[in-house]
Amino acid sequence: MKDLVLFKPGFLPGLITVIVAIVLWQLVSLLFLPVFLPGPLILLDRVIEVYGQSETYLVVWQTVSRIFQGLVLSMLIGTAIGLMMGLRRDLEAFLDSWIMVLLTFPAICWAFLAVLWFGLSEIAPLLTVLLIVFPFVSMNVWEGTKAVEKALIDMAHVYRANRALVIRKVIIPQLMPYLFSALRIALSLSWKIVLVGEAFGVASGVGQRLVFWFEDTRVDMMLAWGISFMVIMTLIDLLIFRLWEKRTFVWRHKFAT
Amino acid sequence: MQPDQATVTLEEAGPDRATVVSVDNLTKRFNVPGGEEKFVVLDAISLKVHEGSFAAIVGPSGCGKSTLLNIISGIETHDPSDGGSVTVHPRAGEGGEPRIGYVFQSARLLNWLTVEGNLQFALEAQQIPRNVWGERVSKYLEMVGLGGQEKNYPLNLSGGMQQRVAIARALAIEPDILLMDEPFSHLDEITARKMRFDLMDILARAKTTILFVTHDLGEAVFLSDHIYMMSTKPARIFKRVDVDVPRPRKPEDPQIFDMEKELVREFFSVLDQNAIAEG
Repeated sequence: MKDLVLFKPGFLPGLITVIVAIVLWQLVSLLFLPVFLPGPLILLDRVIEVYGQSETYLVVWQTVSRIFQGLVLSMLIGTAIGLMMGLRRDLEAFLDSWIMVLLTFPAICWAFLAVLWFGLSEIAPLLTVLLIVFPFVSMNVWEGTKAVEKALIDMAHVYRANRALVIRKVIIPQLMPYLFSALRIALSLSWKIVLVGEAFGVASGVGQRLVFWFEDTRVDMMLAWGISFMVIMTLIDLLIFRLWEKRTFVWRHKFAT
Repeated sequence: MQPDQATVTLEEAGPDRATVVSVDNLTKRFNVPGGEEKFVVLDAISLKVHEGSFAAIVGPSGCGKSTLLNIISGIETHDPSDGGSVTVHPRAGEGGEPRIGYVFQSARLLNWLTVEGNLQFALEAQQIPRNVWGERVSKYLEMVGLGGQEKNYPLNLSGGMQQRVAIARALAIEPDILLMDEPFSHLDEITARKMRFDLMDILARAKTTILFVTHDLGEAVFLSDHIYMMSTKPARIFKRVDVDVPRPRKPEDPQIFDMEKELVREFFSVLDQNAIAEG
């Protein structure tokens, strides 16, 4: 048992859970037709089939670029509004209620409204993502501004740092943990919203593929597209965002190079 | 209660040098929540700091010494209706705002910036031209004994070294006045001793004007040219002492010990008087 220490604690129970789930899934799937509930092996076969076609990469790229645009726009606008709320008391009272309204408004309504207002244009999914995601970002950043150390702001003022410098070098670095958690929430929200937007609106991208196979009642193909895309998003989170986060916080424990 | 003549002797200037900081009859009141009367934090404080001199304000905790530094530095505002004024004069020939360096009780570094980045922050804030940054950074890091630590991050440094970075940051802007608020009080005594000793050396080289706040009389005598002694209730300066011990000084110098002892005695007698006066 000693060599198991090599793995992180919780690795073994996690692995067992995954294996049990896959075995159960395989057993249950034997009771149904693959087009209704495919087993893991058949699904793997379909995924290989999907990614064997070069057209797939174009479809995936379309969706990823929409997610990326929505994410960047939501982060920028959300951070700006969150900062305003944190730094200006008059704006805080005013914007607070707007953010609350946006947070409570049903996401699906935005998807429909965006299509009705902007038709099948690229604006519809982008606007849907923006309206749903940026309030979360703003809330996080606003929360973060409350944790900013006043002692450091005082220090900056003694040295007569102007507002821009204080925001850039004193406030934003203290908000980084909040910005990263906002970014990760934003990613997980926005890719799901983009798929819905594509299904209802623009009729292209991964969302449109899901609708196509839904209309054909091909659960196996829907899952092949859906699950593989989920894996891509998880990889972006793990390989890009987490590594970026790690690099950003190198000052916490390491020498610079 | 001290007679009013005391303030006159306090304001009497030392050598014939330019005044960098002048505090005239400064009074500061805080509103007591729910109460009619205001709490007097500073009661008609007057002092002057001359160019190139080291002045210390010594007083018990809570006597308002930090508040005084905060008003001088602009962190705290002073309501003119409370009375008195504070002026910091920029160097002769240099217009504009005076350059103020401040070393706090804790280092107050920006931990996400390198040591060099922390000095550059102050330089950028003061709009000091970029082409002299490199020279300033290496000069003052060298001076505080941290040459070679440019690219290191503050959290990798000990408390004493972090405070050295804060001192280098304050010196890098070549301030008109360097304010220090019990800068060694968070350090262990051995580190603090070493820091005091090094500070003397640094200041001899940097030729900075300093206003230093402490509750430690020994520290004040060892470091300063002039000492302003401050009491609580009322928060007043009751005595100004010149320390005539020649430099370089040694901490074990009997002259310093004797002076410390004498000042301690004086302090207790004033504090006792105040306690009696208060009832």
